[in-house]
Amino acid sequence: MTSLLLDIVTTAGILFAVSVGLLIVFGVQKIINFAHGAFLTIGGYTSLVVTHFHLDPWLAEPLALISGAVFGAAVERIIVRPLYRRPLDAILATWGLAIVVVQLITIGFGRGVQFVQSPVAGATRVLGTDYSLYRLIFLAIAIAIGIAIAAALQGTRLGLVARAVIMNEDLARGLGINSDLVRFATFSVGAGLASLAGALLTPLLSVDPIMGVPWLLNAFMLVMVSGTSLVSLALACLVLGGAQVVVSSYGSPVLGGLTIVVLAAIVLRVRPAGFARA
Amino acid sequence: MPQMPRREIRAAEEFRGASRLPSEEFRREIGRVGMLAVAALVLIGIGPWALGQYSVDILIRSFLYGAIAVTLDILWGYTGILSFGQSAFFVIGAYACGLTFVHIGLTPFTALGALVGGVAVAALVGALVGWLAFGYGVPALYISIATLVLCVVMVQVLYSGGVYTGSSSGLSGFDTFDVSMAGWFWIAGAALVLVVALGWILVRSDAGRLLVSIRENEQRCKYFGLATGRIKMQLLAGSAIVAALAGYAYAGYTDVVAPDLGGFQFGTELVIWVALGGRGTLLGPACAAVLIDFVSAYLSGSLPFVWQLIVGVVFIAVIVVMPRGLGPALASPVRRAWRRKAPARPVTARLRPAEERNAAAEPAFGGGPTAIEITHLSRRYGSLHVLEDISFSARGGELVSLVGPNGAGKTTLIRCISDGRERTSGRVAIEGHGIGRSAPEYCARLGLGRKFQTPNVFEALTVAESLRIARARIERPSFWRCDDAIRLPEAAMQVVRTTGLAEQLATRVRHLSHGGKQALELAMVLATEPRVLLLDEPTAGLTKPERTVIGKVLVDLVQRHGLCVLLVEHDLEFVREISSRIIVLHQGRIVLDGNVEDVVSSELVRTIYVGEPQAIGEEAG
Amino acid sequence: MPRTRSNAASEGPILSAMPPEMPQGMFRGMSRGMMAAGTFALLLGAFVPTALAADDTISIGVPVGLSGANSVVAPSVVQAAELAVAEINAQGGVLGHKLTLDVADDGSGADGAVKAFDSLVFRQHVNALISMETSAARNAGLPVVARGRTPFIYTSYYEGRSCSPYLYVDAWVPEQQVPPVIDYFMEDKGAKTFFLVGSDYAFGRGMLDFTRKYILAHGGKIVGEEYLPMDASDWTPVLSKLRAAHPDALVSSTAGGAPNVTLTKQLRGAGINVLFGNLAEDEGTAKAIGPDAAGTYLSQSYFTGIDNPKNKAFIAALQKMFGANMKTPNDLSEPEYDGIYLYKEAVEKAGSINPHKVLAELPLVRFDGPRGVVQMSVQHHAPLTMYLGEVQADGSVKVIQSFPNVSPGDQCPNLK
Repeated sequence: MTSLLLDIVTTAGILFAVSVGLLIVFGVQKIINFAHGAFLTIGGYTSLVVTHFHLDPWLAEPLALISGAVFGAAVERIIVRPLYRRPLDAILATWGLAIVVVQLITIGFGRGVQFVQSPVAGATRVLGTDYSLYRLIFLAIAIAIGIAIAAALQGTRLGLVARAVIMNEDLARGLGINSDLVRFATFSVGAGLASLAGALLTPLLSVDPIMGVPWLLNAFMLVMVSGTSLVSLALACLVLGGAQVVVSSYGSPVLGGLTIVVLAAIVLRVRPAGFARA
Repeated sequence: MPQMPRREIRAAEEFRGASRLPSEEFRREIGRVGMLAVAALVLIGIGPWALGQYSVDILIRSFLYGAIAVTLDILWGYTGILSFGQSAFFVIGAYACGLTFVHIGLTPFTALGALVGGVAVAALVGALVGWLAFGYGVPALYISIATLVLCVVMVQVLYSGGVYTGSSSGLSGFDTFDVSMAGWFWIAGAALVLVVALGWILVRSDAGRLLVSIRENEQRCKYFGLATGRIKMQLLAGSAIVAALAGYAYAGYTDVVAPDLGGFQFGTELVIWVALGGRGTLLGPACAAVLIDFVSAYLSGSLPFVWQLIVGVVFIAVIVVMPRGLGPALASPVRRAWRRKAPARPVTARLRPAEERNAAAEPAFGGGPTAIEITHLSRRYGSLHVLEDISFSARGGELVSLVGPNGAGKTTLIRCISDGRERTSGRVAIEGHGIGRSAPEYCARLGLGRKFQTPNVFEALTVAESLRIARARIERPSFWRCDDAIRLPEAAMQVVRTTGLAEQLATRVRHLSHGGKQALELAMVLATEPRVLLLDEPTAGLTKPERTVIGKVLVDLVQRHGLCVLLVEHDLEFVREISSRIIVLHQGRIVLDGNVEDVVSSELVRTIYVGEPQAIGEEAG
Repeated sequence: MPRTRSNAASEGPILSAMPPEMPQGMFRGMSRGMMAAGTFALLLGAFVPTALAADDTISIGVPVGLSGANSVVAPSVVQAAELAVAEINAQGGVLGHKLTLDVADDGSGADGAVKAFDSLVFRQHVNALISMETSAARNAGLPVVARGRTPFIYTSYYEGRSCSPYLYVDAWVPEQQVPPVIDYFMEDKGAKTFFLVGSDYAFGRGMLDFTRKYILAHGGKIVGEEYLPMDASDWTPVLSKLRAAHPDALVSSTAGGAPNVTLTKQLRGAGINVLFGNLAEDEGTAKAIGPDAAGTYLSQSYFTGIDNPKNKAFIAALQKMFGANMKTPNDLSEPEYDGIYLYKEAVEKAGSINPHKVLAELPLVRFDGPRGVVQMSVQHHAPLTMYLGEVQADGSVKVIQSFPNVSPGDQCPNLK
């Protein structure tokens, strides 16, 4: 029972870390970044490079954040900016970008499954049961990410401006806010967060060019049911991620794999606002 | 009567050449398509002789993909439904064939049964997804999500099917039809030509215009009483049928079915083909699907990763730089050269009076039967009470103005009347029928017409087409022809004539002036033959002469046609001129309800409006 | 079973006056003899290349997953094929003709495979297909092979029971792979209770179906059987159940690549130390996983550590030919090498490349190669020597036992 609860909260933490970047981009840009999975993959390969050069494994996370943000900034300028007024087309263009990134990584790093060094290994004793230490650390980091973003939104000028753009972009523009800059910054941050999540995932999983694809769909659905709120995203991760763990444990893992997408689709149909307060 | 001034120059230019009637234009189009189709069929007929066996083999599949791309184009390019899930319908058709032939065997009866079964299942799944996605209040993006989920679920179902579905290995080597390769080539090629031709007829027909109007402004369609959700659902089910047929043929020809045929990768590939070929062109997506699939069969073997890289880069470039796709970009110079020789002529239509369906009530001023009755209506957002205990009724032949300062809840009240899910409590009845919790399209069917505050029109359509869309609920548009006549009820006809729209039938709505758009929306709403008309600041942003015209029209509607009009207005001057009764809203409550003189001279109204000069109407817009 | 789609006439050159073995519209290098042969074939109405001119080559098609899931292993398969062809050509070819290779990407999936097989059979007009593929790709290719009347030697281990008169298999099936691991676990390690874990696809399910029956038939007990979707790699719920079930041994058959690797890593990460037989892991993957893989038992027909002169010569020849670019040979690539030699033997014995004659000889010829003697003599499948290996702490695999001449059992009873 304890391990089930731990599974649920750590799964929710992982889902939160994976989807929060997508949420930020969706909140400000009102577009779905289908290259989110590709940014995740870039983070994975960043930690692969870190392993390759025998650097400290904890270095992978900051490096992934930076490389993702830089790449995201370039993408925003070249591909996303011309599509501000065409949000559906932005979905398609970012999906095209995902294809391109996968192929480039395949050409550069090979198609094979590769591994990164894990910063910590083994299990630890928690609440009377043995549990994977890394998953617990992951949960802590996910919570820290959430708090940091919330603090940045509440406490900094960029955060204030970003919230203004989220609420009403036209009005914000009218008040002299450079919403292009806000979009640019948030896309870059969102890409960096995706990349960071990729780097965080790799010690649990492995690295391959299409590692981002399965995560993209879950992240996408979670953001859809969360609207633009961090709190509802956390709630959605906990509820839907928890449902996934429960279905996998007591039902079949095959059904568990479909739980998030199917439940999210039903939630959206019954209550279009999802987990956000209407 | 003064005419609407300031017509845009462009519209005037369009008018110089003699215009053409819709049916003439339609016949010309059909002639062109017929010639193209015959040419394509001839090419397909000689294909097996002219091409190598390998090319024939690849093209058979490319043709089938092309047919799916065409249906996706109708869904996405014309109607605005972006579906990633056409592959799921394709795989349903394919497995209907595979499963039947493997587990039951091949007889004419099972072959037919599998075909019918596969098509039926695909249509059902399509309708189910449509029901999920096109329900009331579901966001527009939902259909893209739902179709993605459909693919994921479909593939997983096939994987979990064990021996029955062959799991990841799929099924192959079953007995299949005794048709030669050339035969399949002709079947697939003819099917593609047929789908393109039928699609072309559909999108050029009156029903096709309706699809475009849904893409352009679905909200407006709903308030005309058009059940757009059901139309989209039927369209999705229809496209599912075509995709399932293609899947059935694919399985029958290749003798192979596998789960990855239903994956969202293939679904996305279809979307990419349509985008590259040019959305909303039919021919573009068909050509793109056939060409890209054919070329990639030749190239992907020698450069597997680079090929996908090239496709990805080209796709991004096209989306960003040429959103209309490669097809139109390549075709437009040719078309321009053609145009220079024979300039396009605008398409207009003939206005005809409609048969009056509702026997007009006694045109007595304010003396008709109860048209609208509102009892104890309230609307709350959380703890915020926007409307509280609103009760009033109005009869046919009454023109009731709703006035009150900003934030009094006037527009909210209009929303609560025209959309059953808006109000928190209370009852709204139109001619004695409660609206319950119905969506706007069903409220409209009770006889409610709503004109929005800012002109809510179809920018991409012509005036004539817009008026026809407004009539679509009353006169079912045809799927295979264009009607020359637009039959308008007298009230709408009057607006069209007095505001000068009658001379602008061939003009694109985006070229109309602001006043023209306001008048057009009013005419469209009247074309739906409402008994109760809700008008939200119909004169906002209009010039003085324009306002006078609208005022006269309104008075005429009420007096001669016995309509009940609810008018939201800031301009008290205008209100006083035309109203038969005024209701004053303040902070969500009715504070006054009486005839014009009583209200205008009331002390209360002056208090409410203190600090708000009477000409607030000028700034609204 | 092969389908009964159409007669030979419509399968051959479609409405074309060209001899079928030539690419349409190309007369390049066409000798009179070939023209005669082609015309003859056309007269018979059969698409059967029967005669070879002196300067003609024999071409072998290799449809393989250069992209997609199999792209990791595909390069080593191609290298094995190139080595075999180079060796045979250096010895004078087959019946005096040089061998050539045509490699085509099948994208590791059904749709790509149909295109790749079509391209090889109908565009390149290869004389035989010899390759490893995913099961989906193999199944997709079989109808094309039947239509083109082309011999197909399948060189990948698989879940078994794929039968066609044109198909021969020189790799193992569950009947051959499972017994060494289970016997060893039960007899040498005293395991009684087993937990089975797989990816939800044909190979994973097929393998574990057989494993379950085999364990039950030998008095063992199954305490759990769990599957994860093929692309899923989070094994948390499965591991929770595994921990609760306390089995003596875990046997897994997952999809290759990420699912396989993550299972091992998460298993060790969760601190579960249980006897672990991995039916889907190869040497390269074991090496890449590193210390976490130590103690895993593998059962294969080929390991690089097999101690015989043929294997040493094989690896040395690969090294010489590809140098630094050499891909480590494995249980999916070595059978490709054997397959090409088996085809050579069959052609020489038949004295012709006529597919029907070659197909008749294929079960009769044998090749003594790195894996030992291979002969596809039992219902189009081959009895093989199976090896049980244990992964060491440094990631290498130590062969701890060999099981000679393990029969594939009844795979295709209808094919004699």
